[in-house]
Amino acid sequence: MMEHAPILFILIPVITAIIIYVLRSRWSHYLAFFAQIIVTVLAVIYYVDIAPHFVSGVIYFIGDWDVIGIPLMNDRLSAVLVSLTIFVWWMVLIYKFRPKEAEPTFLFFLLFLEGVFLGLLQTSDLFNLFVFMELTTIIVTILVAFKKMGSSIRAGVYYLLLNTAGVLMFLIGVVLLYYTFGTINMLEIRNGMEGLAPGHTVVGLAYVLMMAGISVKAALFPVFAWLPRAHGVAQSAVSALLSGLIVKGGIYLFIRLNGMFSPADFDYMDFFFFVGLATALTGSLFAMMQKNIKVLLAYSTLTQVGLIIIGLVSLDDYSAGLLHVVHHALFKGLLFFAAGIIVSVYRTKDITKISGLMRSMPIVSIFMIIGMLAITGAPFMNGYISKALITDALYDDPLRYYAVFLVNIGSAAAFVKLSMIFFGPKTLSYPHKNYAQIVPLAVISLACFVFGIFHESLGEILFGFDVSAVDPFTFTALATYIVTIAFGFLLYHHLIRPDRKGVRRLRRFTVTFETANYLFVIYVAVLTGFFLLL
Amino acid sequence: MNPILTFIVVLIGFYGLATSKNIIKSVFCVTIIESGIILLFLNLGNFQGGGIPILNGEADAIVDPLPQALMITTIVIGSTVTALSLMLCIKLFHRYGSIEWAQILRREDVE
Repeated sequence: MMEHAPILFILIPVITAIIIYVLRSRWSHYLAFFAQIIVTVLAVIYYVDIAPHFVSGVIYFIGDWDVIGIPLMNDRLSAVLVSLTIFVWWMVLIYKFRPKEAEPTFLFFLLFLEGVFLGLLQTSDLFNLFVFMELTTIIVTILVAFKKMGSSIRAGVYYLLLNTAGVLMFLIGVVLLYYTFGTINMLEIRNGMEGLAPGHTVVGLAYVLMMAGISVKAALFPVFAWLPRAHGVAQSAVSALLSGLIVKGGIYLFIRLNGMFSPADFDYMDFFFFVGLATALTGSLFAMMQKNIKVLLAYSTLTQVGLIIIGLVSLDDYSAGLLHVVHHALFKGLLFFAAGIIVSVYRTKDITKISGLMRSMPIVSIFMIIGMLAITGAPFMNGYISKALITDALYDDPLRYYAVFLVNIGSAAAFVKLSMIFFGPKTLSYPHKNYAQIVPLAVISLACFVFGIFHESLGEILFGFDVSAVDPFTFTALATYIVTIAFGFLLYHHLIRPDRKGVRRLRRFTVTFETANYLFVIYVAVLTGFFLLL
Repeated sequence: MNPILTFIVVLIGFYGLATSKNIIKSVFCVTIIESGIILLFLNLGNFQGGGIPILNGEADAIVDPLPQALMITTIVIGSTVTALSLMLCIKLFHRYGSIEWAQILRREDVE
């Protein structure tokens, strides 16, 4: 029974979603909770069971077919992300919980997305991966456009077409790999690559195209335009889900595919360092300029994605990147949940029109401050641990170190700007009565502290990494943080607050759809050119 | 059909995506890219004189069945994407009165 858990992770949410959609009862939300409990229990039992085999990974073939079947693989990377997914879905379901009114249609898409995303994290078959990526794109589009407002629908179309173009690019890579190796099983391909001559053109082209497709899904530098659009207009719970997790789907594939291509030894690490740096810098720059609270948080996601990519390519293993994936999912979820409550209470997304939050909503303010401390990397919070791991790896290269420091200053400036909503006189607001929404905020805040303080033992047990090199209880850690925030404050005070012409122009900056695709084609061309030059 | 020709179909699709200013045309371009990929994949498993991959006991010279099985799925997904994006286009036209990217993206938020 237990060995069938991987397929049950996919089937239980999907089947529950269909039942919810068909019954449309008042009890839909309880049904969703019930499915969620089953999946959680199953995940705990299964992962405790297979924990000794985490290094090589446990492979499950759907329908008991042997190598020709669809394999689902669970190793430590998938296990961490599957657990994180289940946790984030718990938070979203609790956040969306209303005792009196159920939304069966919304729950249908939400749970369907959970099943599909758990499939994406486990599958070890390239075509299956394509199917799950495309399904994720379609369902996310529907969730983004769910409010049926003009702005959300246009963001949905933009997201759908740009991501489909990316995923199709990925599919060409799959076709080329099938043409070379005669299989689409990732492990078989990895084995086949070991006997390959270095600089194999078709495999190189496949690598380039797959990386380009994944870059769109992970919103890397030239092809990020869909992210602030989609995350800025979706419902807050959906934004938390998208920024916290769905973007990480692309990063997960980045780790997985680089693992698959590792025997072929394509040296793209420097290239992706600069792509990550450009992503992080653009994210910080635009986040500082925004007035819309959700667009600001969306651009900040871009910054963190860039940092994750920098962490992945600068270290020999994926420890720092994976830690930051988990930590970012926590604090960005927290910030989006809090932003959702603030927007519903103040009925505006413009942060210049919100003030006196500390007086009108003290509890939400405290949780929001915790989230902001975590994302800017304050000591004792989880954000510090992963950011310190990333910056420590760059310590030998001063240029790169200060570039990342610049990113942190930009990020600090954006959050100094956001923190201005806490002060000032109390503006007109509506009462907030939904106490269920406070629960996820409290749980995630606690998690931020726990991951920040007990990082050594948690890193050992959950991730299997040794993170004892990072010590948050030092004077240097605190001093660096204070210097970063001070620079951020200066940047905010002198450049952004006066709201000059340049700031306003940058705020209105958008990438049109054809330009986004043009950039995508250029990005693919640069990747290909880089491969040919190597 | 030559694999190079199918690549050209894919490139035409990307050229269209990078230049067309109309949402409907963008949707068509995605469909064109997809058709190109389907043709490319079917090509790789095909050869002159290959039979259909249904075996009646005796092993004949048959074409590779895997690309055909996979491409059926791709066609299904492609039709879903097309249907969804065309539906969203209709909604956009009702709200903005236009299906040009530039006009829709530049407009302020409307309910």
